[in-house]
Amino acid sequence: MNSTLEKPRTRGPIALRARPWPASIGFAVSLALVAAAILEASSSVTENTAAAPSSRGKEMSTPKENHWAFKSPSRPSVLVPGPSGWAKNPIDQFILEKLKREGLRPSPEADRIVLLRRLSLDLTGLPPTPEEADAFLSDRSEGAYERQAERLLNSPHFGERWARDWLDAARYADSNGYEKDRAREMWHYRDWVVEAINQDLPYDQFIIKQFAGDLLPGSTQRDLIATGFLRNSMINEEGAIDPEQFRMDAMFDRMEAVGKGVLGLTVQCAQCHNHKYDPLSQEDYYRMFSYLNDVDEFTAPIYSDEELSRRDRVLSEIKAIEREIQSRFPDWASRLKSWEASVQKDLPEWIVLEPREYGAPDGLSKLQLQKDHSLLAGGHRFIGGTWFVKAKTAMTNITAVRLEVLNDGNLPMRGPGRGDNGLFHLREFTLKAAPATSPTNLVSVKISAATADFEESQNPAGDPEKEKEKTFGGPVRFAIDGNSKTSWTVDAGPGRRNAARKAVFQLSTNLGFGEGTELRFDLACQDEVGRFRLSVTGASDPVADPLPKLAREILDIPSDRRTAEQAAAVFSQWRTTVPEFAKFNDRIEALWKQFPERSGQTFALSARPEPRVTSLLKRGDWLQPGPAVESGVPSFLHPLRPSAEPGRLRLARWFVDKKAPTTARAFVNRVWQSYFGTGIVATSEDLGVQSEAPSHPELLDWLACEFMEPTIKARRTLESPVESLPWSVKHLHRLIVLSATYRQSSRVRPELYAKDAFNRLLARGARLRVDGEIVRDIALAASGLLNTNLGGPSIYAPAPAFLFVAPSSYMSFPWKDATGPDRYRRAFYTFRRRSTPYPMLQTFDTPNGDASCVRRVRSNTPLQALTALNETLFVECAQALAKQTLVHGGHTDAERVRYAFRRVVSRWPTAAERKELLGLLTRQRRHMADGWVNVAELGTGANSPPANLPKGATPADLASYTVLSRVLLNLDEAITKE
Amino acid sequence: MNPMTRQEHFAREHRRDVTRRWFFKECGVGLGAIALGTLLKESASASPAGTADPLAPKRPHFVPKAKRVIYLFMAGAPSHLELFDNKPELTKWNGKLPPADLLKGYRSAFINPNSSLLGPKFKFAKHGQSGAELSELLPHLASIVDDVAIVKSMHTHAFNHAPAQILMNTGSTQFGRPSLGAWSTYGLGSESSSLPAYVVFNTGTNGTSGGASNWGCGFLPTVHQGVAFRNTGDPVLYLSNPKGVDDFIQRDSLTTLKRLNQQRLGLVGDPEIATRIASYEMAYRMQSSAPELMDLSHEPKHVLDLYGAEPGKGTFATSCLLARRLVERGVRFVQIFHEAWDQHGNLTKEIARNCRDTDQASAALIKDLKQRGLLEDTLVIWGGEFGRTPMVQGGDDGRDHHPNCFSIWLAGGGIRPGITLGESDEFGFNATRDPVHVHDLHASLLHLLGFNHEKLTYRFQGREFRLTDVHGEVVSKLLQKAALRT
Repeated sequence: MNSTLEKPRTRGPIALRARPWPASIGFAVSLALVAAAILEASSSVTENTAAAPSSRGKEMSTPKENHWAFKSPSRPSVLVPGPSGWAKNPIDQFILEKLKREGLRPSPEADRIVLLRRLSLDLTGLPPTPEEADAFLSDRSEGAYERQAERLLNSPHFGERWARDWLDAARYADSNGYEKDRAREMWHYRDWVVEAINQDLPYDQFIIKQFAGDLLPGSTQRDLIATGFLRNSMINEEGAIDPEQFRMDAMFDRMEAVGKGVLGLTVQCAQCHNHKYDPLSQEDYYRMFSYLNDVDEFTAPIYSDEELSRRDRVLSEIKAIEREIQSRFPDWASRLKSWEASVQKDLPEWIVLEPREYGAPDGLSKLQLQKDHSLLAGGHRFIGGTWFVKAKTAMTNITAVRLEVLNDGNLPMRGPGRGDNGLFHLREFTLKAAPATSPTNLVSVKISAATADFEESQNPAGDPEKEKEKTFGGPVRFAIDGNSKTSWTVDAGPGRRNAARKAVFQLSTNLGFGEGTELRFDLACQDEVGRFRLSVTGASDPVADPLPKLAREILDIPSDRRTAEQAAAVFSQWRTTVPEFAKFNDRIEALWKQFPERSGQTFALSARPEPRVTSLLKRGDWLQPGPAVESGVPSFLHPLRPSAEPGRLRLARWFVDKKAPTTARAFVNRVWQSYFGTGIVATSEDLGVQSEAPSHPELLDWLACEFMEPTIKARRTLESPVESLPWSVKHLHRLIVLSATYRQSSRVRPELYAKDAFNRLLARGARLRVDGEIVRDIALAASGLLNTNLGGPSIYAPAPAFLFVAPSSYMSFPWKDATGPDRYRRAFYTFRRRSTPYPMLQTFDTPNGDASCVRRVRSNTPLQALTALNETLFVECAQALAKQTLVHGGHTDAERVRYAFRRVVSRWPTAAERKELLGLLTRQRRHMADGWVNVAELGTGANSPPANLPKGATPADLASYTVLSRVLLNLDEAITKE
Repeated sequence: MNPMTRQEHFAREHRRDVTRRWFFKECGVGLGAIALGTLLKESASASPAGTADPLAPKRPHFVPKAKRVIYLFMAGAPSHLELFDNKPELTKWNGKLPPADLLKGYRSAFINPNSSLLGPKFKFAKHGQSGAELSELLPHLASIVDDVAIVKSMHTHAFNHAPAQILMNTGSTQFGRPSLGAWSTYGLGSESSSLPAYVVFNTGTNGTSGGASNWGCGFLPTVHQGVAFRNTGDPVLYLSNPKGVDDFIQRDSLTTLKRLNQQRLGLVGDPEIATRIASYEMAYRMQSSAPELMDLSHEPKHVLDLYGAEPGKGTFATSCLLARRLVERGVRFVQIFHEAWDQHGNLTKEIARNCRDTDQASAALIKDLKQRGLLEDTLVIWGGEFGRTPMVQGGDDGRDHHPNCFSIWLAGGGIRPGITLGESDEFGFNATRDPVHVHDLHASLLHLLGFNHEKLTYRFQGREFRLTDVHGEVVSKLLQKAALRT
């Protein structure tokens, strides 16, 4: 049978050409369907329209390297403006030229109030307040519109509005994803994006910091936060998963985000095989991959500004005291030298054991063997569990075993534990042994004593309120006391907490069988040890080396080859051992007590101490590594500049090289898409060979070049034109919103619609339903409930409780509806839990952060109608708008209707609209008077009479106006950028 | 003012839709412009806003055997060894280590693969004319076994819950792809004018590991996303009017809203406004159709008893009955996620409980569909995301995740009834005959819905995406002869 589903050759994402089945109607019947049913005309109409993309046939026949988007953009010459004087800047000249060719004229400028609302929604995501509207309407002087644009570009809400687009691409979310989907503290990154945009951080810097902020010279905490871009990947904490498998999945996710978000290329297609269409080989993919593969997934402490300055003060005062010691004791250098010699004598020899079998007995959590024979915890995080390690040794006179707990860039705060602060509780450390010939006959080995390089005094560790959970941390003997309520803990306080430590466990009798010995260690933990290594010794009476691991490593470096920092570290270690320095040491100890606790944390990146080898993965399967690859960039794009900088930083700079063919084009195209609904290239995630041909290729290139190297002195104010910096994002926005193209009326003229239904030619302004977040913000703003506070932790906006417990959610999630002002924060701040997308936002097409998204869909469905009519906050907004109207909207219904209407859509109602609304009000009043309605409940949501009504207003008035307000907030115009 | 009753209004609105003229009479927009524009929109490239109804019923590639799907997703992964795949040999191996060559290259989730084997915990017997073997835990399925096809040779390549569920539902272990249900409504549209095209229930003791992505739409338009229904109370979020809003207020509000939107449409001429008007009217219809759907008071007692459904209780049984009511009302795809089957321990007790919770209703669904003549073109699938190891976990009463082999069953919609497809080895470890990978299952399901799985595509990021990616072969042995034709 014949297929009716052939793909139209030159057409886009609708591969299916739907034909209605007779006698049934779809769920979301639209006018379109109706019309389609009537005119079953041929589809060849498209070919005649200017809006249709040029045929790709020609392109396909040329080598794919010659594709337009793979050549660096060059600035097309700007045409001389026509006599009409319509054009306000070069954008308009490109638009007008094409319109002329199509025999079309641009639309007149939109009404002023429509324009202001459009501008406000576009630049800040908020409608103008009535006061702002008044100010603009009464400003008839030249440059009034430009001044509004400037005001809004400088609004702190500009960053919120435009961060949203970037955060979609960055797949930002507030939870880890997968089954457990626990909350993560990632909002510092979100706020960083907002601030960067508000400060007009040039786009090249914006990208470099997100890929390699940690590698920049003089890198700051803010630069580190920026690297969260790559860390927005999901993290699987399901029981028994292999951490490496999901680290690789996160890597694939990062590559996709690079492709979609930065390059505008479908890079991820080359994960499993050479790209089918673009000249990107699978090897190219893994060469780029290797730059990003070489990182530790770091959880960084976050300090507030105040904490940062306190931290810096403490550290500099400590340095000052150390300098004081050096000046008071001029012979310090020689004394230090002899100390060094003394501590390097007679060191016991430790044999590091090679773990043969290891993990958690229940299999829930996993250990990964490292090159140095240490074990690193990953995947599921247990609280109250055990690590076991089996190893073999040929030693026959073992006197003690050593446990080193180590730092690692992949542990919280670098470890050595996996608790929130990078700490651990070792409840019990036990050892069993058997002759290698009968390895299952394990017998407990008695440990007689334990020493450690760090001893904490006893402190409550569990919940002291709950008798059952009451446990104690403290000295290392707690790990061999047979009591699971006591643990060895190593919290040295803020600033010194996250250091490698060691414990030595002496055996009561020497251990070792002639035929070899099978050893089994069990480390029972509360918060687990994150990375550790085991060794044995035959030395007599061994104790834990009091020198920290770091100091020991520096001592191994000849003193003349140490860095200043290393030398200082040795000094700091030594001074603590000198009794004469007690006074100074005490002062330093007191200073350490002032070191601030971090007030937060964020996911960031850090370079690995040792590089990771990246292999090409056959069929993209992490279990099938092929040959190792060298890092590099695809040859069909611009070359990487030679430099001695670390690879990841070079890659970041390569992305934003002015020769980069796609970077600037991809970005300006997406900004264009946000303003006009469709990009100049409709497939904004893909500028490659398979992309749609640009509607205005010269305009795209001009914008890209003008973005990278501004030449237009935009008239920021009438008086003083200002030059913009290269890669200034605000410059790009300014060009667009000041253009005549942007300012056109969005009225759909029938002849225009016939010719250009998608408005690709832009003979009219864009008319679009706003993004989901803005849908809510408009209701909040109109009702006066909006809380415009900036930044901070994400908000639990009201949501149905059942969504967060079984069977809707795998793990119960503590979603506590915000009360008080936070309830009415902008939807931008709504907590984004990946497995439970916020229902109101999901219904309005907000992506949930599972994957990078650079083009939202814009649907129009009955579920949206139900949400806007009945969802909790929408209802509260209707009630608040009603009250606001009664209090501030004048005294007559006519005044009040005008007032409420304007708060929602910014313009005044027409006579016909007013009549319609007054009719509703009259009917509702009568209905309330009939006594069938609980007016208190309708007007306030509660069963008690409303408080603080203005004089003369009744609860029935409030109820009637609530009905009216609900209608207004549901107007198509209310949620549309006209 | 003489308010119309909801029913009157409904009837009138419906007539309007059917005659399809009212827009043009009432909206003051040039017919030619809109109609032409619509055609452009439908066929032109990269439709940005797409006012063409993406859920209009569509013809697939060839005449489908199945017009709708009910997928009983047994999340957590039921043990095939306790339910479908009788392994008397395994009893003999109970407590012994598996042969070494069996484990070559095998990765397991929790256990050391080299753990003792665990014999099946329940008795098996042959049932029906087909003589299919089933465990004693499934007496109800046994009573309809001649209507179903059992596949004993399923395999997958993921063995952690979230990725494996995502794979079973979207064809990929990576998040962000459209689900089978979304692909189905994308391909076929919806037959319901007042209910979502793709409805999801969650029952069981947990939520699913894959979460909402199990029924997500990935890069497909949002209308294809599964809509999570609750099986008690308001089925759809925000269905009920706010407190104090009665039907008079609601109707009056919506009429005013419509008039205002129509005025605006007349002025600015954007067809999107017309779509919005239609959306609000359909939302209003849903406000009566959804409660009507949930109202089981008119279901006869024998039907309630057949399922074991108790009105007002959001059980799996109630959801099965609601699933039947949904497909009767034109809903294209219903999926019930029953997450309860992850028996690492306590296998004997918990799997028996799960069967008590699900066996009767699953079988009842088949019987009920059959007696209503719906089974013929309704495809029913029962199964989880992977199987369980023949090796023991945790003492002597648990099994670990196992991707190499598991069992599912299917019925209706062109499935060959009364067959058992595929075999596994003596341990139920590997699928040895007629192995069916997840991709093959997907290819077969799409085939039954009338699609060549290689041609049901969506263009995104410069390439055509499909449910089966570059894999998948239709399992023809699973299909009725008539269903093989394309």
